[in-house]
Amino acid sequence: MATSSSSSSFSSSSCNILLLLFISSLDWLSPPGSAFLIDQDHMTSSAPLEPHFTECISRDQETFRCWWSPGTFQNLSSPGALRVFYLRKDSPTSEWKECPEYVHSTRECFFDINHTSIWIPYCMQLRSQNITYFNEEDCFTVENIVRPDPPVSLNWTLLNISPSGVSYDVMVSWEPPPSADVEAGWMRIEYEIQYRERNTTNWEALEIQPHTQQTIYGLHIGREYEVHIRCRMQAFTKFGEFSESIFIQGTEIPIKESTVPLTVVLIFGIVGILILIMLIVISQQHRLMMVLLPPVPVPKIKGIDSELLKKGKLDDLNFILSGGGMGGLPTYLPDFYQDEPWVEFIEVDAEDTDGEVKEDNRDSDTQRLLGLPELVSHHMNIGCSNSISFPDGDSGRASCYDPDMPEQDTLMLMATLLPGQPDNDEASLEVLATERNERPLIQTQNEGPQTWVNTDFYAQVSNVMPSGGVVLSPGQQLRIQESISATEEEKKGKESEDCKEAEEQKQKDLQFHLLVVDPEGKGYTTESNVRQISTPPSYQTIHPQPEETKPAATTEDNPSPYILPESPHSPFFAPVADYTVVQELDSHHSLLLNPPPRQSPPPCLPQHPLKTPMPVGYITPDLLGNISQ
Amino acid sequence: MPGHIRSVCVVWVVFVCLMFCSRLTTVGAAPPCTNAQAGCHVLSLANLFDRVIQHSARMHGISNDLHSEFELYFLPSKNQIGRVSRNCHTSSILTPNGKENAQRMAREELTEVILKLLVAWRDPLSHFHQSMARHHDFNNFSSNKSLEISDMVHELQKGVQKMVEKMQMLGIMSNSVSSLASPEALLESDSAEWRLMKNYDLLYCFRRDSNKVQNYLKILKCRIVPEYGC
Repeated sequence: MATSSSSSSFSSSSCNILLLLFISSLDWLSPPGSAFLIDQDHMTSSAPLEPHFTECISRDQETFRCWWSPGTFQNLSSPGALRVFYLRKDSPTSEWKECPEYVHSTRECFFDINHTSIWIPYCMQLRSQNITYFNEEDCFTVENIVRPDPPVSLNWTLLNISPSGVSYDVMVSWEPPPSADVEAGWMRIEYEIQYRERNTTNWEALEIQPHTQQTIYGLHIGREYEVHIRCRMQAFTKFGEFSESIFIQGTEIPIKESTVPLTVVLIFGIVGILILIMLIVISQQHRLMMVLLPPVPVPKIKGIDSELLKKGKLDDLNFILSGGGMGGLPTYLPDFYQDEPWVEFIEVDAEDTDGEVKEDNRDSDTQRLLGLPELVSHHMNIGCSNSISFPDGDSGRASCYDPDMPEQDTLMLMATLLPGQPDNDEASLEVLATERNERPLIQTQNEGPQTWVNTDFYAQVSNVMPSGGVVLSPGQQLRIQESISATEEEKKGKESEDCKEAEEQKQKDLQFHLLVVDPEGKGYTTESNVRQISTPPSYQTIHPQPEETKPAATTEDNPSPYILPESPHSPFFAPVADYTVVQELDSHHSLLLNPPPRQSPPPCLPQHPLKTPMPVGYITPDLLGNISQ
Repeated sequence: MPGHIRSVCVVWVVFVCLMFCSRLTTVGAAPPCTNAQAGCHVLSLANLFDRVIQHSARMHGISNDLHSEFELYFLPSKNQIGRVSRNCHTSSILTPNGKENAQRMAREELTEVILKLLVAWRDPLSHFHQSMARHHDFNNFSSNKSLEISDMVHELQKGVQKMVEKMQMLGIMSNSVSSLASPEALLESDSAEWRLMKNYDLLYCFRRDSNKVQNYLKILKCRIVPEYGC
């Protein structure tokens, strides 16, 4: 503080400068061997040095020591040649006393605690044999000569490292010197830390402060630093000696950094796992949806828009189903019988149909064949067997008797579908041309109201009229609502199953007439029971061929598939045979089918009295030739 | 409108409460209790001691600065100690000269010594400042300090008196010593002595006495409330 004030005073006025000159001159006038209290750097070396005191120091403000030197008077250097006297000015009547304790080895006089008084001026004197060397400046008060011991137990801890990893901060802590009685409050000590790099010369000093720890900021990593501390009394000027140096080495300390990547890795890992789970869920969304929300079965036809079904546009639907416009669905039929390659379908040629039918090009084949106008809206309860819906994996044939289908549209739809099968679908298809002479039966059929079933694809021919007309049977039990005279039905199927079917067929009361017009016999015609709503005309239109069918009663033994004759029964449900056996082919290339017998079928009699079992199978042209004779 | 006024009133009330509470919680802002006023913030004894000791330390620092500056500018020869013709006017006050003496002394006596010292220096310092102001070469910085020091002594004396009252209230100190109540009475006889001292001697003596006061206070604190900073 003195230096700062001195620098400021220089600039104040010229009088100060004069004073300074005066002061400096006074400095030179000081006698040699001046007092140790004021640091003297400039001393005249020419004049002989008297014995003098070099220094008096107190470490704890309770005792003090004084050192002297003989100067250039070497004859006084021997121990005992010079004696130390002191004066303690606590009263005007005080006297000089000799040093209470000599330490001759170091030329030191030690004043213990009993001889030490604070705040009282002491004056020191050196006396030889007869000469007294006294300097007035060698007077002091003990509190002014206190230089505390250096602090002990220095250590340092790392506070933090800068994010760039270049610099770091260090906290240095220590203990006060043990000789200073700090606990009693007798001494209040301030500390000064100085540090420097290992091999440099300039020390950097930090601010003096009274606490026993201090932070050094901004040390560089990789360099070694040296730190030492010294103390002084508060509000006094004299510092003690420096403590021993400690060395601070700031190496790369990756402790903190090691934790940071760990947390980062954890976070990234968790995020990655979450993303993976999300991807799996999204990719397997459909499967999950299937598992969680299984699809509700809906009626579905391959290739047909479900909207059409809903809207009930039957015309369009019929058109599509019939394969019209060449954009239709031509592939049903093969799909349906994929496992029965011998099955072929006979394509009905539209040109052969009746003239009346020709007008309705959009009608179904059955319609064309039969010449029946399209009939709408009949309540039909179509069972499962009626629905030859084309095998579609997605469609749900949950139950054969779907209670959800009472609507007319759907019924009509079902009507348009092929009635094809009886309950057992595995019966092979047989087409046989037989003769029938059941006109009266046919006519009875015309009586009741009949439901028109649009059977475009295939229909089971149940009977062939003598006139050449073909009776189609839908093969369904529930289709029939009206009373229709039972017609004979022929049921396809194997012998073993016919028993059951026979009983079932009794229930059916359906007969339809269909004229098979394709003489080429490519495939077989399937019979379907087409119900006639309007009576004779529908029936009559089906006679394109000369009706010279031979009486059906005369059946020939033909190698045709076996047919189980059945007697038609109950007014409501006539047993319907989906397929029948083509017995023969007449000269006009019309198929003659076996008429169903009138009588009730013998229970479980596999044999028809009139007929002989015929092999089920595909009719080769040879056979056909045999049939036709 | 009434709703608006009500909200404003509520805000005002809250604000006033906050101000009041902050006042109560801040230690430094609370006025010291005089004559046992009700509602003022009462300081703890340790806190009082700390304040007083800090004050005395500052006083001693300023006295040290004054003395060294004076020595630098008005440099009577190097060390005037030997030439001090008179003792300080406070030499008549019996003060313990060592640690053991100070620790052996009773608290009441030690406190009395402190107060005597402080009282004795109030007038001389103000006089010193007035005399120093006449010297033009005494820079302003020191002049401010000399002005400051006389106020400081007065403040310190009042602080120590408060502390004594608290100690007497707490029962730590007995009420036997009557001079503590009015230390000014001690000065009547010594009033003229300090006028004869030179300025430098005054500063020197004051520096010594301020160190004494600081030391005695610290010893008292570490004896009575040694919790913090001993």
